[in-house]
Amino acid sequence: MTRDIWKHLILILGAIIVLAPFYMMLSYSFKSPGEIDRGTGGFFGAQEMMVDPRCVKLRDPNRDEIAAAAPQYPGRSDSEIRNAIMAQAEIDCSTRPVVFNYTKAFIEAPLLRYLLNGLIVTASIFFIQVLVALPAAYALAKLKFWGREAVFGLVLFCLLIPVHAIALPLYIMLAKVGLTNTYVALVVPWTISVFGIFLMRQFFMTVPDDLIDAARMDGMTELAIVWRVMLPTAIPALLAFAIFSIVAHWNDYFWPRIVVTGSRDLFTPPLGLREFKGDADGSFFGPMMATATIIVMPLIVAFLVAQRRFIEGITLSGMK
Amino acid sequence: MAEIDASIAARKPQEVNRQARTAWGLATPALALMFLILLVPVVVAGVLSFTNYSLGNSGFDWVGFKNFDRLFSRSTYEKMFIATFTYVVVVVPISVALGLGAALLVNSLGRIGDVYKTIYFLPVMATLLAMAIVWEFMLHPTIGVINQTFEMSCGTILEVIPFLANGCADGFPLWLGDRDYAIWVLCFIGIWQGFGFNMVLYLAGLTAVHRELYHAAEMDGAKSAWERFRLVTWPALGPTTVFVVTISCIRAFQVFDTVEAFWPQGGGPNKSTYVMMFAIFEKGVQQNLIGIGSAITMLFLVFVMFLTLIQRWLVERKVHYG
Repeated sequence: MTRDIWKHLILILGAIIVLAPFYMMLSYSFKSPGEIDRGTGGFFGAQEMMVDPRCVKLRDPNRDEIAAAAPQYPGRSDSEIRNAIMAQAEIDCSTRPVVFNYTKAFIEAPLLRYLLNGLIVTASIFFIQVLVALPAAYALAKLKFWGREAVFGLVLFCLLIPVHAIALPLYIMLAKVGLTNTYVALVVPWTISVFGIFLMRQFFMTVPDDLIDAARMDGMTELAIVWRVMLPTAIPALLAFAIFSIVAHWNDYFWPRIVVTGSRDLFTPPLGLREFKGDADGSFFGPMMATATIIVMPLIVAFLVAQRRFIEGITLSGMK
Repeated sequence: MAEIDASIAARKPQEVNRQARTAWGLATPALALMFLILLVPVVVAGVLSFTNYSLGNSGFDWVGFKNFDRLFSRSTYEKMFIATFTYVVVVVPISVALGLGAALLVNSLGRIGDVYKTIYFLPVMATLLAMAIVWEFMLHPTIGVINQTFEMSCGTILEVIPFLANGCADGFPLWLGDRDYAIWVLCFIGIWQGFGFNMVLYLAGLTAVHRELYHAAEMDGAKSAWERFRLVTWPALGPTTVFVVTISCIRAFQVFDTVEAFWPQGGGPNKSTYVMMFAIFEKGVQQNLIGIGSAITMLFLVFVMFLTLIQRWLVERKVHYG
């Protein structure tokens, strides 16, 4: 029993270090700039009303606006009117820090657009990967043909090449055909998952031949067999592969950084966050941490809900 | 049996033919993409590494081995190799050891241990770039949590620790801006992010170790936990270890997100964190020096392929240590 306490102590110490940045990220995303600077306010911050200086500044009236507002303030001087307007602005512009941070995250940068781009890119990558890999995996696992060994050998060789490593020639090729700064550029290098082919082949090998023969008797074409017989049997493996693929591409920063320059319309979530950081001055730590939280959370929540599947999916590469 | 097979084949030669054609049809999209996206770029990089090509130029000159010469003679690239290998040599052993240690502890605790498994796996799931930005805040020299925490120890008994005493007297390190610390901070974050992945792989490996082996070892006089680990667990985890080390190496070689987030301009204080992926990005993409970028790419590919081939060779020999 005492031994177990020691184990827990060590593991808890590790857990504190592992969780520290997540704790800080959430905590900063709740706090006001002042609290972040001073390091006060505990986890949630005091959530006192704060005034958004940028918002107030935008409402600073010019001469014409003061003149226009004059009838509402009869008998006052211009500077008094201005003070009254600014006082009203300060009231209108005060919010709770948590609301301030999360609304700024969406207003200051097109975060929704970034999230949508992330979704489009990860979903198309996964969809095309399956479309390309499944028929090939089926052919390699269940059909006899001249050259099968050679094709499989090529798959094994290609497993050696990490796509990130050949990013430069891929970038040059895409630039040559004028495809940089497009969705195509974000998706294309990942359309072929050699690992997916390998994995699904290993899985298809375990599917009994009788099942396929029966389908052939029913007059199904080989392509129909892939989608209507093999695909349903492969759902667990495919789910694991989906998680593997989606996690990798939602989080990917290197490749989008290379092929997307300038146009915010194509930014994926990590790129958007990076740009936010580049623009930000000191008072924007809160909104930036809110953005980071929003980007990190979908996968973390999904992971907490379906832990076993996620761990299976991510460690898939262990099956090589 | 062979005769029957032969007779079936003889009876249906067109059937066999048809199946072969379908098979090639099914495999062709994958094959075409494999060539276009994986093999052609390797060749392109190989060819361009012998040229002085730049995007936008109509032609290029062959420069022979000049790009590679530069890689091995200029001090910038010496720093690149030092940074990359320091990172790999520090991150791989520590994250593998921590992964193994955590797996053994978690495994011995049974169901309660799953909580730790979940926690340690979180950094693997999280967007590294976002977490890098959070670490940057935490490491901020003045308002960062880390230095603020250290400052709290000033004036207390903890000041007997030399690091804290020095910090209280002369100020705590700048961390990311400090050429003596930058690479180690980078390594730390690499380990923080990656060891949970290794832990999970080891946990999978541990489920495959047979209980009877422990009983047998105990019969043979292996009483202490260390003896049981040395005689049973470690040898049984041999294949897992080979895999974990290889994949950790490949991931460590590819470090980029943290470097680019911390030091967008040129690889850290005194180029102490100028790792290879960042060099490829900076030279090849940002500065349009494609020849030199391709040369780094080729070198990078050689390292990674070499590592994977060693792994496959070890696995095929069915390694068992001890």
